[in-house]
Amino acid sequence: MEFGTSGSLNEDGIHVDMDRLKKGEVNLGTSIMAITFKDGVILGADSRTTTGAYIANRVTDKLTRVHDTIWCCRSGSAADTQAVADIVQYQLGLFAMTNGKPPTTQTAASIFQEICYANKDRLSAGLIIAGWDERHGGQVYSIPLGGSLHKQSYAIGGSGSTYIYGFCDANWREGMEEGDAVNFVKEALKEAIKWDGSSGGVIRMVVLTAKGADRHLYLPDTDYAVRHN
Amino acid sequence: MPGFDFSNYNRNAALCARGMSLPKATSTGTTIVGCIFDGGVVIAADTRATSGPIVADKNCEKLHYISPNIWCAGAGTAADTEFTTALISSQLELHSLSTGRKPRVVTCMTLLKQHLFRYQGHIGAYLVVAGVDPTGTHLFTVHAHGSTDKLPYVTMGSGSLAAMSVFETLWKPSMTRDEAVELCSQAIQSGIFNDLGSGSNVDVAIITADKTTLKRNYVKPNERVPKLRSYVFRRGTTAVLNEKIIRKEDLGNYVSVHELSTAAAEEGGDDKMEVDT
Amino acid sequence: MAMFSQNPIMNGPSYSFNDAPRVNGPEGARQHRFDPYTDNGGSTLAIAGADFTIMAGDTRLTSGYSINSRHHPKLFKIGGTTADQKDATIVLSVVGFMADGEALKERLDTICKMYRYRHGKPMSVKACAQRLSTILYQKRFFPYYAYAILGGLDEEGKGAVYSYDPVGSYEREQCRAGGAAASLIMPFLDNQVNFKNQYEPGSGEGHALQEVARRPLTRNEVETLVKDAFDGAVERHIEVGDGLQMMVITSTGIEEILLPLKKD
Repeated sequence: MEFGTSGSLNEDGIHVDMDRLKKGEVNLGTSIMAITFKDGVILGADSRTTTGAYIANRVTDKLTRVHDTIWCCRSGSAADTQAVADIVQYQLGLFAMTNGKPPTTQTAASIFQEICYANKDRLSAGLIIAGWDERHGGQVYSIPLGGSLHKQSYAIGGSGSTYIYGFCDANWREGMEEGDAVNFVKEALKEAIKWDGSSGGVIRMVVLTAKGADRHLYLPDTDYAVRHN
Repeated sequence: MPGFDFSNYNRNAALCARGMSLPKATSTGTTIVGCIFDGGVVIAADTRATSGPIVADKNCEKLHYISPNIWCAGAGTAADTEFTTALISSQLELHSLSTGRKPRVVTCMTLLKQHLFRYQGHIGAYLVVAGVDPTGTHLFTVHAHGSTDKLPYVTMGSGSLAAMSVFETLWKPSMTRDEAVELCSQAIQSGIFNDLGSGSNVDVAIITADKTTLKRNYVKPNERVPKLRSYVFRRGTTAVLNEKIIRKEDLGNYVSVHELSTAAAEEGGDDKMEVDT
Repeated sequence: MAMFSQNPIMNGPSYSFNDAPRVNGPEGARQHRFDPYTDNGGSTLAIAGADFTIMAGDTRLTSGYSINSRHHPKLFKIGGTTADQKDATIVLSVVGFMADGEALKERLDTICKMYRYRHGKPMSVKACAQRLSTILYQKRFFPYYAYAILGGLDEEGKGAVYSYDPVGSYEREQCRAGGAAASLIMPFLDNQVNFKNQYEPGSGEGHALQEVARRPLTRNEVETLVKDAFDGAVERHIEVGDGLQMMVITSTGIEEILLPLKKD
């Protein structure tokens, strides 16, 4: 047990130590992204989970379903993001049952933000929420560490994202066809995995359209060229 | 009051601030593994418990019962793995009784992760959860902070790297029961011999749809070597500086003694316990 | 987070160079410090007999929870004229930080050799012991992190054991255990070599009891004690194991024995 004085809020109540991870915690030192395209959204992620230098899981699924066509990408603490996603999944399930219709992506993102902002001093969770709904079609929201909410046409996150800001900026096009969009995500994640030591393993994707959720899996054996599953 | 007692927290914090170190918990610097096979799941563990560099227990049990068809292997703080699994085992039994259904592995995993997440890693339990339920065969790891993973083969504890190297070279999809037991045993032995935190014997539990088989000390690769001579002392070797004999009839002078009549002892005193029939 | 943390659970012992301890200084300032020492575990033992000395040490080399080597000797013959040290008469054992231990061995060996070339005779254990103390104290403020034991035969041909702390304090003793399992082995030695806490049955009452008379142990008895001491230490100390290296120093030379220990 530790009795340190290191609180997260300082005396002035402003500075929050953001880059902390509780000792020995399982980390999703990640590359994640989500983009909008013509028919909906695509979420993408690597599959590496680490504790220090050790890869605790090399085939992690960081793309988590919170409703049929609303999913999220998780980065930061594995425990925190799983706990938050579990709560939101429950809330959205309840929402759908009480209202008799599925929630919108915005509603989901709002619930995520509420939790992330209220517990900003206790959570290390960087989330990207992406979904498809009847009213708005495909939407992408990003919730970085402090708990703010940003609606974007595409979002990247995790430690690996720092390497692909240039790539994404140069290659991004609004309203891409599905094939081009999948390729965009794949090429971006390939770069992130190549340069970021905390990212690696397989590339997972989820395509969310009017037709529902469609999973993609790409293995490193073939340089992520062949789609499995 | 249920839960933990925090009444000494402030005193301990004050003592700690004055430089007194707090007592060290027995840690099971451990190797634990699990592996799915066709028709069930195997989990295994070594049997060494350590306190710093000293071996505290040479043959401890790290495979914990949750329900007849769900078992847990525990690493981390010995007391935490013991009490956490016992608590969740109890909750799961009550849940099973009230729903009238067999307990599920996902339920167990969810209860564990929510309990551990609430304590933010202060409960140092690292667990491998395995079992077979009506929905199928399952294998999970649960970390102390509350994160979980679902994989076909898993390792945890200080020997997890040694054990995982065995899995990563020898594992193949769809194995027989015997192949899986052998693979898990090899993985544990890799931990026993290459990780100082792990040692002694291999415990194995095999869970299938119809039964669970616990093989305590499945392999004993570290039998004690016999001493080369006897170290029995001659009677009277140890000096006796003083001697005092307290007879039973004088016991009342030292402690309070209440004689129980045989009849009262059998009835269990005045207030008889109510038993549901 | 420790980059080379070897034990994910305890975030535990790491390589000293890469992960220098960070001490929290005043006002949140973090103090970085160079820490060149590592404890490589293991245990040593030396017992002096009437006309022989037995030195022993396990051959496991550890760092943190890892085994770096299962056969890394802790016993060294000192001051011979050849590469294989076949005409050496003194044995040095070291535990603690192996790099320092071996550097210390090299220094002492070189000095003993120089002495032999200059004087045309091997160094006496007594002189060698005093010189070793000097070497250790020369590094009083950046010590060799090594617990040394020196063994040989004195001028009268009796077994001699000298034990040291890392900065050169030393004394001649009948027996000594060093290293990780010293606290496990030393009480056993006190009892079995010096017969401490053993009294003649029926020789008196309370404090008037007569202690068991000390007698010199035979070579076989000592060898048995050493083996049993290490078999016991292996059972309860995680850093001790793999192999037992023994050196028996007699007037006819130094005999080396290697025996297996448990490997878990």
